[in-house]
Amino acid sequence: MLTRRTLLAISLIAPWIRVRAANGFGGVSDDEFILGTSAAFSGPSRGLGIELYRGAMAYFEHINRAGGISGRRIRQTIYDDGYQPDPAVQNSTTLMLDDDVFLLFGYVGTPTVTRVLPLLKKFQDRDMFLFFPFTGAAPQREPPYGDFAFNLRASYGQETAGLVDNFVAVGRRRIAVFYQADAYGRSGWAGVRKALARHGERIVGEATYQRGSKFTSVMRRQVEILKDRNPEAVICIGSYAACAAFARDAVDLGLNVPLANLSFVGSENMLKLLSEGRDDAERYTQLLVNSQVVPSYEDVSIPAVREYREFMARYNPEVPAQLVTEEYTPFPHSFVSLEGFLDAKLLVEILRRLGDNPSREGLEQAVFTIRDFDLGIGEMVSFAPDRRQGLQGVYYTVVDEGRFVTLDDWERRFANVGA
Amino acid sequence: MSAPEPSEQREDVPDIKVKKLFRKTTFGVFMLFGAIGLSTSILNVYTVDTHLSEEYISNSKGIAKTIADASVDILLNRDLAALQSLIDQFLEIQGIRYIYITDESGEFIAHTFVPGIPEEILQGDPLSTETVERTLAGMGDFVEVGSPILAGVAGTVHVGMDRGLIALKIQRAIGQQMWLFVVVGAIGVVAAIWLVNLAAKPMARLMAYAVSLARDDETTDAELLDRNDEVGHLARLFRHFASRRKPGSDGS
Repeated sequence: MLTRRTLLAISLIAPWIRVRAANGFGGVSDDEFILGTSAAFSGPSRGLGIELYRGAMAYFEHINRAGGISGRRIRQTIYDDGYQPDPAVQNSTTLMLDDDVFLLFGYVGTPTVTRVLPLLKKFQDRDMFLFFPFTGAAPQREPPYGDFAFNLRASYGQETAGLVDNFVAVGRRRIAVFYQADAYGRSGWAGVRKALARHGERIVGEATYQRGSKFTSVMRRQVEILKDRNPEAVICIGSYAACAAFARDAVDLGLNVPLANLSFVGSENMLKLLSEGRDDAERYTQLLVNSQVVPSYEDVSIPAVREYREFMARYNPEVPAQLVTEEYTPFPHSFVSLEGFLDAKLLVEILRRLGDNPSREGLEQAVFTIRDFDLGIGEMVSFAPDRRQGLQGVYYTVVDEGRFVTLDDWERRFANVGA
Repeated sequence: MSAPEPSEQREDVPDIKVKKLFRKTTFGVFMLFGAIGLSTSILNVYTVDTHLSEEYISNSKGIAKTIADASVDILLNRDLAALQSLIDQFLEIQGIRYIYITDESGEFIAHTFVPGIPEEILQGDPLSTETVERTLAGMGDFVEVGSPILAGVAGTVHVGMDRGLIALKIQRAIGQQMWLFVVVGAIGVVAAIWLVNLAAKPMARLMAYAVSLARDDETTDAELLDRNDEVGHLARLFRHFASRRKPGSDGS
């Protein structure tokens, strides 16, 4: 789909904001912080942008209703990039130069973020930072662009390493990769390759798909390519529509091995595609094992999960009508929206630490004051000049009774798969 | 017996001979343009094909070298996602259908193939930088150029240009030139016909006048006799000879 840049009229005073932008107000005033977002709200991956936004808005809404941060409400100026790099670059340029937002937040995807990073370096004199993008890729975690971004989630390297280690531990050493033919797919592919090398193994087979593929796409050829290599597990690095299409065709063509997916896949959307209208849905979902970078939203023993569920129920954030161009039914809870919620919670804490006279110049130092901060998920968050990723935890989930639950025993789960 | 009407004489004898001349001249013009067109087309096709092919290969080599140079820093210092992002951008250039990068051991570390790396390429020499022509099943015909990364010690970059697209562009370029030639040729032929016609008409009138004199027809063609060119001179000359041939005239 071509570029569809839809300015969110989330602020009722958008024209006023633009006037102030021209005056260089720096994205903050006495009564608000303006955050800039470019994410997928259309196209096959729109579920990711929408869910991430809803989770973040649940927390922002709570803060705003409670009076904001020292009286400053949080507002977002949002553009749709459809998960395409060129619109993402264009949107980011507008956000930085025209809208003059305080910071960038809530971005989705590796191919988009990878292309936006050079912009941050180009305009580094504006002290513009990218906060908590929904991607585990390495470019925003390492030089030369690592200094312009802060990450909350674990990296794809950590996710793929965890998957490989667990597969190898249960004797599945022949691992193939199905991935998106772009920077995101390559990032995951590199993670699998590196993790396998530690075990003295190599990727036994690989197949790719074009970014933007839909669930209706036929992945028969990809399945055949991988099946020829006799893998004992396949790690998929893709979006939910394509990965669901691959899982469907893999099962139909008899590729009966565990199919692992990374957190970016958007587990609930994937499960919905594989289950909706099927009596034999379990046949298609029993092979799935999805890594997550946040704990299960079903685990209400976790304080942040309770808070998340409460806020989602209370505010039920909706995507602004201007951004809704394609049908989408949001989930009450999802891993993606939980991640958005935690992103927002940490960002609010950082904005609080800016004090009464917040400015972009003080942002980086404010982030570095986050030491052993308790987000409420049991893992402390810390940042430092050489530590720009807050969380390290990776969780593994499988489908039981139509929902994703935590995987406790890999051996038992996959003992008879492919036997 | 009375002599035939002068007008009948003019329509019969002289017109036939002028038409023959006209046809021969027109045929000659067509043949000339045909010969020029054919020889020019052959030369044109050869020249455009050669030059455009060379240009595409040269551009591909330039692109491969650019990627190779840009890859050094990424390979040594950064993540492969950045390398993939780099080659994805070059794939937007028209004509480039695939790019792949191998490391120094020949392992494919970044590529743009969907749904997978073709068997023909997997079986080839991943470290070779020779320009080769490839036919990939389901993809088409390609010219593949290579460039070493860091003199080859860090790997190689390969760029595949779509030969079908190159051929299409060459055909278009040749087609455009041929159209121009056809238009110019058509105008030339029409102009030649007009010029021949311009010369043939007075000749026909002169011949008709000469025939009328030969038959002692008293009809005169004032317009023809007033012409101040070769045809007019000849007409007046014919009249002079005819007047001398009459009984009682001077010189008879």
